[in-house]
Amino acid sequence: MNYHKISLTVNGSQEDVIVPSNMTLMRMLRETLALTGTKNGCSAGECGACTVLMNGEPINSCMVLAVECDGATLLTVEGLAQDGHLAPIQAALIEAGGVQCGFCTPGVLISAVALLRRNPDPDEAEIREALVGNLCRCTGYERIIESVKVAAKKQAALAFTTA
Amino acid sequence: MSLDSHPTLPEFDYISPTTLLEASQFLAQHAEQARPFLGGTDVLVRMRDGFLKPRFLVDVKNLPGMRELAFNPAQGLTIGSAVTMNQLIASPAVQKHYPLLAEACQSVASYQLRNRATVAGNICNASPAGDTLGACLALDARLQIYGLHGKRFEALSSFFLGPGKTSLAHGDLVTAIHLPPPKKGAVGRYLKLGRNKLSDLAIVAVTVLGWPEVELPSSMRIRVALSSVAPTPLLLLNVENYLAERTITSTSVLEAAAMAAEACAPIDDIRSSARYRKGMVKNLTIRALHEVLEKLGKPAL
Amino acid sequence: MAKGNSEHTHPIGESTKRVDAPDKVTGAALYADDIQFGNALLHARVKRSPHPHALIKRINIEKARALPGVKAVVTGEDFPGHIGLYLQDRYIFCRDRVRYVGDPVAGVAATRVEIAEAALDLIEVEYEVLPPVLDPEFGASPTAPIIHPELGQYVVANFIMPVAGTNISNHFKIRKGNMTEAWGQCAAIIERKYRIPHIQHVPLEPHVAIAKVDASGEVTLWDSSQSPFAQRDLIAQTLGINQSSMRVVAPVVGGGFGGKAGVSMESLAVAIATKVRGHPVKLLLTREEEFYTAFVRQGLISYFKIGCDASGKILAMENTFYWDGGAYTEYGVNITRAAGYSCTGPYEVPNVKTDSYCVYTNHPVGGPMRGFGMPEMHAGLEQCIDDLAYQIRMDPVELRRRNCLTEHSILATGGKMHPTGLAECLEKAAQAIGWGKVAPPSSPNKRRGKGLALMWKAPAMPPNAGSSAWIELSEDGMITLGIGCQDIGQGAFTVAAQMAAAAFGVPFESVRLATPVDTRYSPYEWQTVASRITWSTGNAIINAANDARTQVLELVANAWEENIDDLDIIDGSVVSFKTEKEISLKKLVVYGLPKPDGSGWLGGPIIGRGSFMPTYVTGLDPETGQGEQAVVHFTTGAQAIELEVDLDSGKIEILKGVAAFDVGKAINPEMVKAQMEGGLVQGISSALFEQLQLKGGVVQNASFVDYRIATTADAPLKMQSIIVEVPQADGPWGARGIGEHSMVPTVPAIANAIYDAIGIRFDGPPFTAEKVYLAMLDAGIVKE
Repeated sequence: MNYHKISLTVNGSQEDVIVPSNMTLMRMLRETLALTGTKNGCSAGECGACTVLMNGEPINSCMVLAVECDGATLLTVEGLAQDGHLAPIQAALIEAGGVQCGFCTPGVLISAVALLRRNPDPDEAEIREALVGNLCRCTGYERIIESVKVAAKKQAALAFTTA
Repeated sequence: MSLDSHPTLPEFDYISPTTLLEASQFLAQHAEQARPFLGGTDVLVRMRDGFLKPRFLVDVKNLPGMRELAFNPAQGLTIGSAVTMNQLIASPAVQKHYPLLAEACQSVASYQLRNRATVAGNICNASPAGDTLGACLALDARLQIYGLHGKRFEALSSFFLGPGKTSLAHGDLVTAIHLPPPKKGAVGRYLKLGRNKLSDLAIVAVTVLGWPEVELPSSMRIRVALSSVAPTPLLLLNVENYLAERTITSTSVLEAAAMAAEACAPIDDIRSSARYRKGMVKNLTIRALHEVLEKLGKPAL
Repeated sequence: MAKGNSEHTHPIGESTKRVDAPDKVTGAALYADDIQFGNALLHARVKRSPHPHALIKRINIEKARALPGVKAVVTGEDFPGHIGLYLQDRYIFCRDRVRYVGDPVAGVAATRVEIAEAALDLIEVEYEVLPPVLDPEFGASPTAPIIHPELGQYVVANFIMPVAGTNISNHFKIRKGNMTEAWGQCAAIIERKYRIPHIQHVPLEPHVAIAKVDASGEVTLWDSSQSPFAQRDLIAQTLGINQSSMRVVAPVVGGGFGGKAGVSMESLAVAIATKVRGHPVKLLLTREEEFYTAFVRQGLISYFKIGCDASGKILAMENTFYWDGGAYTEYGVNITRAAGYSCTGPYEVPNVKTDSYCVYTNHPVGGPMRGFGMPEMHAGLEQCIDDLAYQIRMDPVELRRRNCLTEHSILATGGKMHPTGLAECLEKAAQAIGWGKVAPPSSPNKRRGKGLALMWKAPAMPPNAGSSAWIELSEDGMITLGIGCQDIGQGAFTVAAQMAAAAFGVPFESVRLATPVDTRYSPYEWQTVASRITWSTGNAIINAANDARTQVLELVANAWEENIDDLDIIDGSVVSFKTEKEISLKKLVVYGLPKPDGSGWLGGPIIGRGSFMPTYVTGLDPETGQGEQAVVHFTTGAQAIELEVDLDSGKIEILKGVAAFDVGKAINPEMVKAQMEGGLVQGISSALFEQLQLKGGVVQNASFVDYRIATTADAPLKMQSIIVEVPQADGPWGARGIGEHSMVPTVPAIANAIYDAIGIRFDGPPFTAEKVYLAMLDAGIVKE
């Protein structure tokens, strides 16, 4: 098996790592970079617990090879809060009670961030559709959906004040 | 699914060629051991499950032209093989001229998976359940293939030989999908039945595409394609001809649906029974035909 | 300041935010697989049986052992001890026989997981295949092959009744009243059979265990666990280790639902680790292994015969339950018992005959799952109640109104019901769903229906399951709460902090939790199961808080020369109602206070301790199932569903789900509602999609591709959760559990709504679109 030296930006930080061909992005994040916020729920692209942003778009990191990330910019759950301040979606998830066991939470947050970037004011059907790849066994989804609505309002308010 | 699924991907060499020739030659030289690699949404899963054990994965996404997505009213649409489903869905040209393809892509798995999944990958996997295959067949897709003997085109209609089997030879690479210019006034519908509401594989799916053709007795051409109900996706030419030859009424819609149910050859598997699939082919065909006819100005049949 | 004012500051009944949420939204929360062990870490994989039932003739591990990077290969030869919670019927690795597809036969530890995996292929196992038992009713019959010939010799708890020489690992009986006479008085009798499939828990976090044995033989196990103390006890016993030499550290758990209770794959990791001392050994199940080797919810075949008089009064019930316990029976025997003593559902029935059998089969191992037998049992029972009502032309809600339990009702086991809000739950759920009002379907190709079901459930546990807690005060006036229960997502830690704050007298924010749970430092807790934590650990926390309070108040009383009855702790300060003096806890909890005469010091570091065990539970007569108090108490409730059936496809859409449960006292109302919502959707998922498809003992759908669970798109369009509060005498502030109950009545509520919509009943879930459509075809509701 061959190995590859790659350079990438993870949560704003430049990283140079050597990865074997068969290492997925999920394993590289968790094992090589010790960014364990990204979770391994199925290793098959089905549950969404390992969702991260790659060049601004959410992907299942278990379905991407680490070597493919040479030159890429990644954002994981660890990179959401800025200077100790939670991102609106993080605060909203706490406020609306959308966290239980927390294992799906990092993936849910990343999917929600991506949704709100491409659609700052999603309706309920759009929220449900955008999160269909993030399985949650605890919450019954209601409070997760609610938290995306809350975050959309928070972001709108934030945009209004900064504008 | 396999009970022997591995915790990690098995070991292999990742190869990233820079020219089509290099890629094609490498694939040909390592015929049984190398696989082209696009979004990986299918091949990585099957490698973890132990069904595929390639020694080499040949990443073809960065080859020249693979990420091209271009529309031209005269030539139609060119979809480079590495164009993701989300890129297609978001493309204004696709939304405007080929909404049926966008609708089919939209039904695939989840948003994050569609950021990796490609139509070319969907086609090359040749799963009878592939969500975009019906739309591509109905839209007269042609594949641009690069092989040891250079570039060639092949109609999608002759491409599928069976589940997972295609007409590709060793060293062949699908580099793009071409759709001819859209038919004027065309409307389509992709109706997919999964076990839960979204994100599942198709248990049964029906694609209908129709457009006005005044010289036909029906004054419109209607195409019907079926997925998940035969070893390959089916484009039903007999249904197309039947509907073309007469004024379309609710009776002919029922007859067309019955012909569709007759044409399919579903199997019993853990996802569904053949009996249910057959019934659903009929019901979904009726529903999709009605929706398309209504949009074509033939409402309330 | 009036003494009663302290009531205003305590957080009981307030929806405080979860204590663990900030860590969980930032990725900081550490789950077992997140712990970094460095390069000494070895990876374990397990060779599993491909046969449902076979004798092991020969195992050759030499080739695997010779593979570079392999550090240990173990088999059943290495570990002769039996293990089991109630019935010790299992080896850690199989020794002579395999009993299900997935049964562990050998284990490998290697430097990389790829090497461990490759080593599995080099292990040669020769089997003699035996005929399997794949149906519990057949398994209980005299003609079935015997799966555990040694059943009569196994060590067993005294309330479990295995039948030696058969596949019956427990037979629980109720014999009450006079059945013959009762049937004669019935105006209507219905008889039904239902079949409940195996389902999986599907926590998002798969099972993981990391074990390390150091040079002196001390064992540490880090794992995703609902039961660190039970694991310490059982694994240590089996491997011949002292319990005190075994330490279980249980970090954040990514969902449990019962699947991470007791001992399952954890013992494999520990066993392998004993052969590679000094190395941590990690065993992480793949999602596929999770589906076919982790505990499953047992299948059930249930028979009901129920009769009532013309006024709808239920007179008699005869039930037979065949539980598909699987290859071994970690919990199945007690699920069988729980279903037995709860067999009437939440109704008063004077004449009862019940036989509940736990049966060994060659299916995956049955374990506890959210509801512990109650969803399976109520699925049939609550459909029977509707059918009985229809038979005497009575509204099903009215029939329930006339029979549901109230305070002092006599239970199937002979004891009396405590105060309960069941009738209130029934009324509120019926009202919220608009019972009796018919709304037209949303389109002509749909039919709409409503259904309702009741439930009850007790914490099903041994009578001597204990909890304990400690409270320690620090210089800044914060209290640190030590508990041994686990937060598996249900919110146990948050509620524990609320209870400690309230019982001790500090703001919620002043409580820290000494987590993760670590059996070396945390106080004992039996297990985080049975919806018993709020209640049982809560009582221990109150006792610990009172102990610490008393120490603080005695100290201040002595220092101030006041009477302890005139003092209280309010918002982190000790106050005197008599002298209106006030002193912050910060000033006294570690260094004490000077004596009034200045001659020295009083007090010292404060640590409060408390424990709780329900010593008032009594045994049941083995022949009649009669006894004074079978369980501590029952949580009761109701769910109602409105749905639409698509006539073209058979697809069911849940339009509205209503839940109403009597939780005694909602310590944290929003978290109580969150349990009701989560349980409802898990129930809906089990009703519409879920079934472990077993063919010849082999799981056919061991992945998310084919084991579908509800997604955001499948959750109901509307949910409504209603809290009813009739206090529980033995509960903290009157509280009872709610974790499991919320998925108990969902399947029958949906089944009753489907019947309302299309007039069809099924023998069991899942009510897939296919099943519904084909049944509508057969019934002539739709045409081919």
